[in-house]
Amino acid sequence: MAKGFTLWFTGLSGSGKSALAERVRDILLERGMKVEVLDGDIVRQNLSKGLGFSKEDRDTNIRRIGFVCNLLTRNEVVAIAAAISPYKAIRDENRELIGRFVEVYCKCDLDTLKARDPKGLYEKALRGEIKNFTGVSDPYEAPENAEVVVDTASEEVDAAVEKIIGKLEEMRYVPAGDGRGYTEEEEEGIKARLRDLGYI
Amino acid sequence: MRFLRRRRKRRVCVVGLDGVPFGLLRRLGDESVMPRVAGMVASGDLKQMRAALPPVSSVSWSSFMTGANPGEHGIFGFTDVAPESYQLRFPTFDDLATPTLWDRLGESGRRCAIINQPATYPARAVPGVLVSGFVALQLAKSVWPKEHLGALEGMGYRIDVDSQKGREDPDGLLDDLEATLETRRRAAEYFWGRESWDYFQVVVTGTDRLHHFLWEAVVREDDPRHERAMAYYRAVDGFIGEMWDRFHEGSPGDGEGEGFVLLSDHGFAGVRKDVRLNAWLRENGYLDYEKEGPGSVAEITADTRAFALDPGRIHLNVRGRFGRGCVAPEEARGLRDELAAGLRELRFEGEGVITHIFPREEIFRGQKAELGPDLVLLSRPGFDLKGTTKHPAVFADTHFQGMHTWDDAFVWSGLPVADEPEIADLAGGIVGWLAG
Repeated sequence: MAKGFTLWFTGLSGSGKSALAERVRDILLERGMKVEVLDGDIVRQNLSKGLGFSKEDRDTNIRRIGFVCNLLTRNEVVAIAAAISPYKAIRDENRELIGRFVEVYCKCDLDTLKARDPKGLYEKALRGEIKNFTGVSDPYEAPENAEVVVDTASEEVDAAVEKIIGKLEEMRYVPAGDGRGYTEEEEEGIKARLRDLGYI
Repeated sequence: MRFLRRRRKRRVCVVGLDGVPFGLLRRLGDESVMPRVAGMVASGDLKQMRAALPPVSSVSWSSFMTGANPGEHGIFGFTDVAPESYQLRFPTFDDLATPTLWDRLGESGRRCAIINQPATYPARAVPGVLVSGFVALQLAKSVWPKEHLGALEGMGYRIDVDSQKGREDPDGLLDDLEATLETRRRAAEYFWGRESWDYFQVVVTGTDRLHHFLWEAVVREDDPRHERAMAYYRAVDGFIGEMWDRFHEGSPGDGEGEGFVLLSDHGFAGVRKDVRLNAWLRENGYLDYEKEGPGSVAEITADTRAFALDPGRIHLNVRGRFGRGCVAPEEARGLRDELAAGLRELRFEGEGVITHIFPREEIFRGQKAELGPDLVLLSRPGFDLKGTTKHPAVFADTHFQGMHTWDDAFVWSGLPVADEPEIADLAGGIVGWLAG
């Protein structure tokens, strides 16, 4: 049975953490792994309901997510966390707790985030209507040694997903994809190659 | 007070020359066609080396890159048959059953850059970068990670030459060989500076293509294309020299050559006749087809007792192993001995054809060994063993000029290598040395 691990997406709001987490989840499910996603927005509606956005509350929220990820990981589930998780010390605390921990930094510049802003949060934060907004009025400590860095301002989603899956394969945390045999058309191409060199 | 010398970080650079025999390399060095190789031979140890069995690139390179026997890595040729349908199937990189030396290096945090490695298609994650070689079809599926695809396309990178030219347009093939080598050179230059690597490898496969189609031009001075063939080898020598110089940049003097490896995956010889093993099996009553002109071994009859696959692989049609198997397992050994005895007597104009007959258990070990052929045959140079089903005659002329050989590959290594090495021996030495 495959061992569990935690895939931790960190980055500013709107940087693509949840979207990438979902794509990666679908691929891992297809490969027969047990997967659970802990999305920051959803966690704040239940597990961390009532917590605010002070540094203390943020740290508590991330510790709680880390605690659940650790339980899942040790029970051979892939735990995918997608949370801003702005403070390096708490992310590192979770890394130490869990062990099999893969950090994905969703890097994205502020101009791109402001242009995307699907929830209008950056606009409000910049107008001062939202306090403690990470990247605008609250700090974000970027990872220095994340296993994967995806620049979601410049990289396509497919390329970013491939990079993450590739890293997990390289670390032997997930098996190589099945169904990578040749299509009929490719088989014809291979046959032609082999025929040209006299192998069939 | 003496300054302590900082120990140089250990790195390995491997240049592969597909299908270049030991004797040819040494001769081209001696004859000043390959002066850089001559320099290496003068200062180091060029050894004759055995390829994997059967001596075909997919098997031999798989043994190189895993350090494993085919019975362990599970690659026995460019083709296999599906056990139920007998349809030909084409192993992919995913069929490789053992970790590569790059995987092992990655476990200790080392990074690799690998260009044009045969038998690694479709490309998959490696700790570093990989550009797959033969039988790669599309560049997009040959590059990992994909971020390098644009750069490779931009430099006009070619996966391979157009081998059809080998038959129809030999001069065009030579043009193609030169152009493809140039793109290999550009790719090496690109990755050398861009990747932070501990292990770098680039394989030149054009040498194998040249030998398949224009072996005469390589070995005969009176061949009209001899000069062009030698020009190609000069270019290959220049490329080796370039890699050597780059590898030693900034660290001349002591330890020159340390960590540099030059090798081939099998040898080559001229070919006189194709030897169609399925035709021999049919002539001798071991095999028949449902209809004349069969397209593949999928069309054998239910009472076929043995069939052949390229190159020189004989499978017994054993019950339980193949869907239409008719040979009782307890009779397999006797049938195998009978076949071996018959094949030993195979002659062309009085000359014996088969030089070696290896039973499976003698050469394959590991969890996949049972999937390998029951017999692997080697032939006298000049007689190219084929698994085709399409022709009724055992011996036939061929448009190919060269054929693979087993025991005359070579290795020049700036790392310790055993005497009388086999290609599978090298990976362990590389991993161990980099860990040292």
